[in-house]
Amino acid sequence: MANSMQEKSTPIAGAALDLRIWEWLVGLLFIGLLVFVTPIPKVAAIGLVFAAAVVKAVLVVRKYMHLAAEHWLLYVLALTPVVLIAGMAIALLPDIAFRP
Amino acid sequence: MEAAPNIEAVVQFGDGDSIREIPAARLAIWLFLASEIMVFGGLMSCFMLLRIAHGGWDAEAAHVHWRIGAFNTLVLLTSSLTMALACTSAKERKRGTARRLRTYLGFTIVLGLTFLGVKACEYSLEFAKGFTPGAGLFWAFYYTLTGLHSLHVLAGIILNTTLWIAAARADLVPVVQRRIEYAGLYWHFVDVVWIFLFPLVYLT
Amino acid sequence: MSQAAIQRNVLPVEHHEELSFVGKYVFSTDHKTIAKQYLGISLFMAIVGGFTAYAIRWQLAWPSSAIPGVGTITPDAYNTLVTMHGTIMVFFVAMPFLLGVFGNFCIPLMIGASDMAFPRLNMLSVWTLLLGALILLASFFVPGGAAAAGWTGYAPLSARPDLTPAVLGQDMWIVALALEFSSFLMGGVNFITTALNMRAPGMGFWRVPLLVWYEVTASVLFLLSVGPLIGGAVMLLLDRLVGAGFFLPAKGGDPLLWEHLFWFFGHPEVYVVALPGFGIMLEILPVFSRKPIFAYRALVYCALTTTGLSLIVWAHHMFISGMDPRLATPFTVTTILISVPFAVIVFAMIATLWGGSIKFDTPMLFALGGLTSFLLGGVTGIFLGSAATDIYLHGTYFVVAHFHYTLFPVTFFAGFAGLYYWYPKMFGRLMNETWGKVHFWLTMAAFQGVFMPLFLSGIAGTPRRVFAPNEYSLFKAIQPLQVHATIAAVILLLAQLPFVVNFFWSLKRGTQAKDNPWHANTLEWSVSSPPPHDNFERTPRVRRWPYEYSAPGASLDWSPQAERGDAMPATGRH
Repeated sequence: MANSMQEKSTPIAGAALDLRIWEWLVGLLFIGLLVFVTPIPKVAAIGLVFAAAVVKAVLVVRKYMHLAAEHWLLYVLALTPVVLIAGMAIALLPDIAFRP
Repeated sequence: MEAAPNIEAVVQFGDGDSIREIPAARLAIWLFLASEIMVFGGLMSCFMLLRIAHGGWDAEAAHVHWRIGAFNTLVLLTSSLTMALACTSAKERKRGTARRLRTYLGFTIVLGLTFLGVKACEYSLEFAKGFTPGAGLFWAFYYTLTGLHSLHVLAGIILNTTLWIAAARADLVPVVQRRIEYAGLYWHFVDVVWIFLFPLVYLT
Repeated sequence: MSQAAIQRNVLPVEHHEELSFVGKYVFSTDHKTIAKQYLGISLFMAIVGGFTAYAIRWQLAWPSSAIPGVGTITPDAYNTLVTMHGTIMVFFVAMPFLLGVFGNFCIPLMIGASDMAFPRLNMLSVWTLLLGALILLASFFVPGGAAAAGWTGYAPLSARPDLTPAVLGQDMWIVALALEFSSFLMGGVNFITTALNMRAPGMGFWRVPLLVWYEVTASVLFLLSVGPLIGGAVMLLLDRLVGAGFFLPAKGGDPLLWEHLFWFFGHPEVYVVALPGFGIMLEILPVFSRKPIFAYRALVYCALTTTGLSLIVWAHHMFISGMDPRLATPFTVTTILISVPFAVIVFAMIATLWGGSIKFDTPMLFALGGLTSFLLGGVTGIFLGSAATDIYLHGTYFVVAHFHYTLFPVTFFAGFAGLYYWYPKMFGRLMNETWGKVHFWLTMAAFQGVFMPLFLSGIAGTPRRVFAPNEYSLFKAIQPLQVHATIAAVILLLAQLPFVVNFFWSLKRGTQAKDNPWHANTLEWSVSSPPPHDNFERTPRVRRWPYEYSAPGASLDWSPQAERGDAMPATGRH
């Protein structure tokens, strides 16, 4: 399959790309940790940390698992459970999370 | 015994059906991963829901070792790198490919074992303080989530080790080159689960 | 496209080494053998499940009398019977029978493949199921007996080891279910991959037989819905073993969470069972009406719609559970909505029959019986899906009658229809037609006799899962309904004897079947009965959809999918 992924500006080949992605992943990890230790409102902290997590996950899925280059069916297959879980969690909020 | 079907073969029938051209094993792995997302997603949702219901569990959560967790996250992310490098080198047709593949795969296994070792130490620290699975709902979730994840890491290590051993034999290298993609997909998935699990359990 | 240009995605086998008995029948990776292994498991478990039904019905008709062959039972034992009846029938009969047998046997043959995409995974899946079944059966014999918290396993009854006698039994129940889930996850991945990846040339999606469509959508549905319950099962086991407290209020847990997790899977589960049942009926009706299936594409869309909708209706099982009442209305709406695709399926079936040249062979009789019974069951579901009426009917025999009027037709009527239909292809012989008809009429009549009275009993308010409802003066007057149901139940169980005898007798003494006794179009009928090991000597080239029956201008009233237009033999074969 796709040996060389095309970045937006500079084309990078296989192993070098893997390394570059890793750098981003580690960077996002440290950003998350920084947010965690900084005294900012809790909701904001959680939001930022999870945003970082989502970006990390997308990087791994698109670049390490090559979903970016795959047939659309696999995209649907990967995305459907995420949507279902989100839907289930939201449906359960009134009943489980917000019980008086 | 009849020959196993060539599951990596791509069949060209030319009647406009692009779905048929997805290699069978890759499709199967993604189907399996979809079901795993439902398992972990379900558990994580339950954790979030009950955590909200109980006011956040901040007191309990203060006792998790976030630095250890962060270190483990680094370990797992790096193991994803080495796994990706192993898969990338598997696609090469140069001299020394098999050796490079084995090296990267070996690092992945070692890092995976490191993750588990650190986790075991972490568990023993927590047990020593009396934080067992029966010590309250927060800890029950902590052990269930991280424990199930660790079992998946273990399965991945076993899978990778099988490939690593096979790659030592020259006649099996082509098989490993094909199959390592699937091991890679599984390993990266285990990493993605941890990418969400770490903040959920340690950083909230 | 020339044959030479076609690359088979299975390595051609030059020669077979002769396999030993063990290699051929026990550790087989051949999908046809695996299908028969699933058949053995499901029919055996059906006997066990039928026995539990017998004991339950006897107890209800003549409470606290000695059940012949069992003795008197305690209320705890009754709970165990009810629990194991449901668990066995849903997970170890319906699923293996409809998915394991017909999915495994028919999918590769119908799409022109030589086997499943992953034959060894297939073998692993049937062995995993067998292990689960053995563990479940073993749980009857451990101290404390088998699980007793209902097939739904509600917490805290299931979550605290001190609340039922079945301490070990309930743990084994969880493990057995986990194995069953793994088995069908593996099987499902196999079915989906095979159907998407290994179709013969010319078999685009709109030429795939409906059974394959319905088996695959059922597998997708199972794959997507079982995850949260697997998590829930782990949580339940931890509750029982270490007192984790996920579902225990005393520890801050929520029993309602279990109900949500269970039914999030539990409702799609009934469609996982219903869809293949319908798929079987949809294959049989056109063949025995000598007419194309009506609204083929709509039927495909119905399967997809059902799959999607079934994931958002689950809380209609929980209207009176104490959940947030604001959830009642959205779930009522989605539940009523899901009756639409089913109505379309039923109408399409009726329209297929309309004006057809109906042949009332046994497979057709069972398909028709299934259709009519399911229709009744389906409409009673509307009362249960609407929160307002469900408030009264929940937990009564109305529910029991409803789900038996839906699950029994799709499992047994459709299942028997499929079995009588594909038996010649599986075993090379035809089952006896006369005894098949006897089997059908007895089963059909007795089935109505068991469950119709239960609707009335439920409307009168009789609660389910109660050891002796006649102890309440409220229900004493309608006790004759329970007696009536039990007598019919005994007849229903005895009515299966002609089938059992017929099945085994026909294996050795049935009329030899030629390739295509039913003059059907789908690809499995183009090979010998039974098929050779690799199914097709040459990969078939599909030229038309499966339902070309009675086409105007054709010399015969059927057109096999892979034959050229004029290459039909002048005489049909039988």
